[in-house]
Amino acid sequence: MTTPVEAAESEEADPKTRTVCLVGMPNSGKTTLMNALTGGHFHTANYPGVTVSLLQGRSRKEWGPPMTLVDLPGVHSAVNPSPEEELSCEVIESRHSSVRADRFVLVVDATQLERHLKFAGFVARQGKPIVVALTMMDLLPRVGAQVDAAGLSRKLGVPVVAVDARHGEGVPELVSALQDAAGPPAGSSALATLGEQPAEAYRQVRTLLGDSDTLVQPEGLAVLVERDSLTARVDRIAMHRYLGFPIFLAVLIGLFASIFWFATPFMDAVDAAFAVSGDFVTGVFPDSMVAAFVAEGLIGGVGAVAVFLPQIIILFFLMTLLEDSGYLARGATLVDRPLSALGLHGRSFVPMLSGFACAIPAVFASRSIPTLRERLLTIWIIPLMSCSARLPVYALLLAALMSDVFRQGLALAAIYIASLLIGSMSAGVIGRFAFPDRAPSLLAMELPVYRIPRWKVILRMTWSRSSSYLRKAGMPIVVVAIVLWLLSSFGLGSAQPRFADTTAAPLVVPAEMDYSLAAQLGQATEPVLTPMGVDWRVGVGLISAFAAREVFVSAMAIVFHVEGEDEAVQSEGLLETMRTATFAGTDEPIFTPASIIGLIVFFFFSLQCISTVAVVRKETNSWRFAAVQLLFYTGLGYGAAVATVQGLRWFGVA
Amino acid sequence: MTLSNVAVAEWHRIHRLEGPDTECNRLQDLGFTPGEPVAVVRATPLGDPLVVVVRGTQLALRKREASWIVVE
Ligand SMILES: Nc1nc2c(ncn2[C@@H]2O[C@H](COP(=O)(O)OP(=O)(O)OP(=O)(O)O)[C@@H](O)[C@H]2O)c(=O)[nH]1
Ligand SMILES: [Mg+2]
Repeated sequence: MTTPVEAAESEEADPKTRTVCLVGMPNSGKTTLMNALTGGHFHTANYPGVTVSLLQGRSRKEWGPPMTLVDLPGVHSAVNPSPEEELSCEVIESRHSSVRADRFVLVVDATQLERHLKFAGFVARQGKPIVVALTMMDLLPRVGAQVDAAGLSRKLGVPVVAVDARHGEGVPELVSALQDAAGPPAGSSALATLGEQPAEAYRQVRTLLGDSDTLVQPEGLAVLVERDSLTARVDRIAMHRYLGFPIFLAVLIGLFASIFWFATPFMDAVDAAFAVSGDFVTGVFPDSMVAAFVAEGLIGGVGAVAVFLPQIIILFFLMTLLEDSGYLARGATLVDRPLSALGLHGRSFVPMLSGFACAIPAVFASRSIPTLRERLLTIWIIPLMSCSARLPVYALLLAALMSDVFRQGLALAAIYIASLLIGSMSAGVIGRFAFPDRAPSLLAMELPVYRIPRWKVILRMTWSRSSSYLRKAGMPIVVVAIVLWLLSSFGLGSAQPRFADTTAAPLVVPAEMDYSLAAQLGQATEPVLTPMGVDWRVGVGLISAFAAREVFVSAMAIVFHVEGEDEAVQSEGLLETMRTATFAGTDEPIFTPASIIGLIVFFFFSLQCISTVAVVRKETNSWRFAAVQLLFYTGLGYGAAVATVQGLRWFGVA
Repeated sequence: MTLSNVAVAEWHRIHRLEGPDTECNRLQDLGFTPGEPVAVVRATPLGDPLVVVVRGTQLALRKREASWIVVE
């Protein structure tokens, strides 16, 4: 029988089963290197704390015998770690239940050698073989320093390779250093002799580097406080006493409003393409049930949502650009004071903002918030952030409300900013009641230097976010489109056959909309919907939205289109159909300013995303938290929508 | 004197850290060790947090945290 230790040693001998872990301080470029080694598309950005879970992959064939790679969250300090730092410490100290590191790639930012090497000491003490990857070499001239990899390697006693993983430079050298670093475990290197006490360890690091020009350190106290001129120049304005907040607001408003402003031409193109193909299908096969299904259910339903894809891509593009610039950490610093007054943390800003793309990674991102109370409060308010699934819904409703694109953009920005404000304030209220005792926490947040974004990196990230959005939303949209079309085209033994070419079973027959199964189900919800100022058809949309919020749009397209049988109605846009839709048997319009605003309010609050509920359950380890959140927000959404519609009517807005 | 009340853009040496143990240990780990030069780069618009520089890195520190760092 082999003991676990022996097993570990024999596995270590075989490079194929070797596990190499990428470790280092936050924002040092670990995930960028991981992507270069694996060909993956893991999330990278220019702020500390991007990676919050273990990312696994296999190295690409071109790098020789494949090995398992694990990218770890960055660690500032092993003292009092936040959850994502603790996860890394578990792996580094071989306490993790499933990931066991055989070797480490220590990613070290060359512009911050002292702090990063001090952390390296902690890893080296574990006694596993280490290769140091030096990143940010291109930024050295900015801080007026030079680092020589070979010299550093001699001083530290471990292989050191300079890389720029964004372009793959130095990656082959790193791999070969990794593969033949079968040599001595790092236990005997100078790096491993660094002390555990910070003051002592820093002194030793300086002695190690001492006699060289690798020192990044003010020589006497006369040196300028700010050295990096780009960062200094931008920060002077971005954190300016009077300009700081106006710029912060302008960045946010610009981000959200341009979603509308830039998307119009693309949207028109997508819209036209779907309209033409819908007309084509019905034109070639008139009066056929299959053609009607393809045209109304698939092309009509899916197309209604696809129109908003350009907006989502623009949102992802701009968010990626913002994340990669380095501004996010500044934004978090600006709002730390108000957020911490409400029981949140400056770092809560990053998950809140990424909640605008999707709540799920945002919930994970809150791992970087140090105390439990602040973390739970952040997770509590993330579902309020207007995620990209709400974007098509808001876009449709805003377009129905006003015709001017410029004003639509501003209205959308207002919705987004309202979700930030209402979210933060509700954290203040909830925090006071639900979590009365408040432990103070540490901010101590690193402000990375501004880096000029690389287009290749930005476009790749945008693409990977958009395609994962499509994968996630595509299935529910198509499935619900099919189900809804069937439900709204067939009824129970109806006297109003819809298709001439079918010989239907006696029980379920093709039927006009008003006699369809969807109508019969939808009408059951009517009493609940009347106070919201809408009819059962909108109710069908609201219920479908629980599959995925964007399904609301395709549901509207199907439910309102199927009804109008003549060609004219079918080929006109969803917006026009909504404008002319009336309550059955009357000429009272359904989509009035009051009811549209009511719907926006409903979507603003209600939590209609089962995956979010599941992830919240997992991260908080509490079914109660997740269930209360679901019921609270959905109840609040309905209540607030009814109050809005009734209130607006009371003030004379129809 | 503590880092929370020094003038902007002026180097000082850290004398010692005086505050809650875990937090101060973490600050030391981040580079705020006795003897090390630090400076406040700028205050943010609300006056808190402060942007400080230590060992070539800029960090945002709340005033409360900066007041644990006693400087010479
Ligand atoms: N100038 C420059 N930028 C780099 C280099 N390597 C990575 N970057 C950029 O640095 C930023 C941080 O990279 P990441 O790979 O996300 O850093 P990380 O170490 O994974 O960060 P955490 O996940 O937060 O621990 C990104 O904006 C990268 O594009 C480099 O060699 N030079
Ligand atoms: Mg990372």
